[in-house]
Amino acid sequence: MRAVVFDGPGRVRVDDVPAPVVSDPGDAIVRVTRSAICGSDLHLVHARAPIDAGEVLGHEAVGVVDAVGPTVRRFGPGDRVVVSFDIACGSCWFCLRGETSLCEDFMNLGAGAFGGGLPGAQAERVRIPMADVNLLAVPEDVDDERALFVGDVLTTGLYAAHLAPIEPGTSVAVLGVGPVGYFAIQAARARGATVFGLDREPTRLALAQAAGAEAIDVTARHAQMALAERTGDRGPDVVIEAVGAPDAFSTAVGAVRRGGTVVIVGMYAGESVEIQLGVYWARALTLRFAGICPVHAWWQRAMQEVRAGRIDPLPLISHRLPLAQAPRGYELFDRREATKVVLQP
Amino acid sequence: MPVFPTQGWFDAFVEEINTSQEYRLAAADWEGDIAFLVEAEPDKNVPADVWGHLDLWHGACRGGGVVAPEDGARAAYVIAAPYTRWKDVLHGDLDPVKGMMQGKLKVSGDLPTIIRYVRAANELVRLTGEVDTTFPDEV
Repeated sequence: MRAVVFDGPGRVRVDDVPAPVVSDPGDAIVRVTRSAICGSDLHLVHARAPIDAGEVLGHEAVGVVDAVGPTVRRFGPGDRVVVSFDIACGSCWFCLRGETSLCEDFMNLGAGAFGGGLPGAQAERVRIPMADVNLLAVPEDVDDERALFVGDVLTTGLYAAHLAPIEPGTSVAVLGVGPVGYFAIQAARARGATVFGLDREPTRLALAQAAGAEAIDVTARHAQMALAERTGDRGPDVVIEAVGAPDAFSTAVGAVRRGGTVVIVGMYAGESVEIQLGVYWARALTLRFAGICPVHAWWQRAMQEVRAGRIDPLPLISHRLPLAQAPRGYELFDRREATKVVLQP
Repeated sequence: MPVFPTQGWFDAFVEEINTSQEYRLAAADWEGDIAFLVEAEPDKNVPADVWGHLDLWHGACRGGGVVAPEDGARAAYVIAAPYTRWKDVLHGDLDPVKGMMQGKLKVSGDLPTIIRYVRAANELVRLTGEVDTTFPDEV
């Protein structure tokens, strides 16, 4: 079958790879109808995490079940499903608490050694272990492109917006209007918040507006002062940091009001920053590190939000390409010329 | 009138510091240079970050002015804030110690040491008001 594979630092290619088969009793094989390129795929492509040449990339996919192992109870051939980007066992202490991203046997589709070596979903077919846990049925009235992001970025944005105390009238700033920031804006708006979306890219500022936020261009305005001016010189009640860079973290902490909450959903690895503990203490800040989204605990709610039209994924999609053109999609996404690339096998 | 934050403004400020008896007493045993990072606010006519530096030693200022970012970052203490916050400080609308504790002014270096010298800090702030200042967003 055809699949997108890592081809050395900075490169991907589309190649023939062995088609997946049911190898464990809980497996399902999903025929992929749509997959997407995610920011974390770029981490791998740029060799910021270990992955071998030839490994299949991708973890956002929707499709139709082709085959299942003998212990799969909830799904059968022909079922439309979205796959979870994090693959959890569903039975350990953490999974039973809904903290599936902290699973004892946590794996990630298409994420190299750190993901457990599972082949990815940017392919014609993908194997999903523990399918009863890691697949979600797609309702008939939700089309593939609306369902696609429920397995990752959409639910991550929703999760980020639920980690902070948001109620009608709460002021929320979202730093970084990439896919996660875009969905965090919609989720916060759905909870009645007044939302500001901050970014430097015109396309992302347009997305912020489309999602119902006031867009603030940080190349033209100092983020902290722009937010202070809109919140009685206090700063917003909540800042959702959806960038994953020390500068963004500093901006978030500097901008939030005293007694406010900063949700850090942007991804970090080896970065470090100096923290003035006394200042944080005196300002009574709440810092909430989101970690990887426990998709399984939130994706049913996310799907409901999509069905109800409170979250609309479609404006995020800037490019739809055949799988064969995935390398171009990666280039566009890497150059920030694409907000989201959907691949069609 | 010198424009804040330019070399001319810092020259005038250093002159004010060195004529202040109050500062000489309050900072008699202070040792350490301080850098001031005025963060850009393009819409306020401050298009780029500006680093200022004061070499403060035993109640006197041995020199000061606009410096390169890498030189400013080497100072024992760095106080950073958006331009508008500095303007509030210069106008006496933002108490600098309160501003540090509220996070409106960000301090790198030993915060408790700076706070112990609250009298000296307050006098430095008062002295900024003695400098006839032009603000770039009011030009």
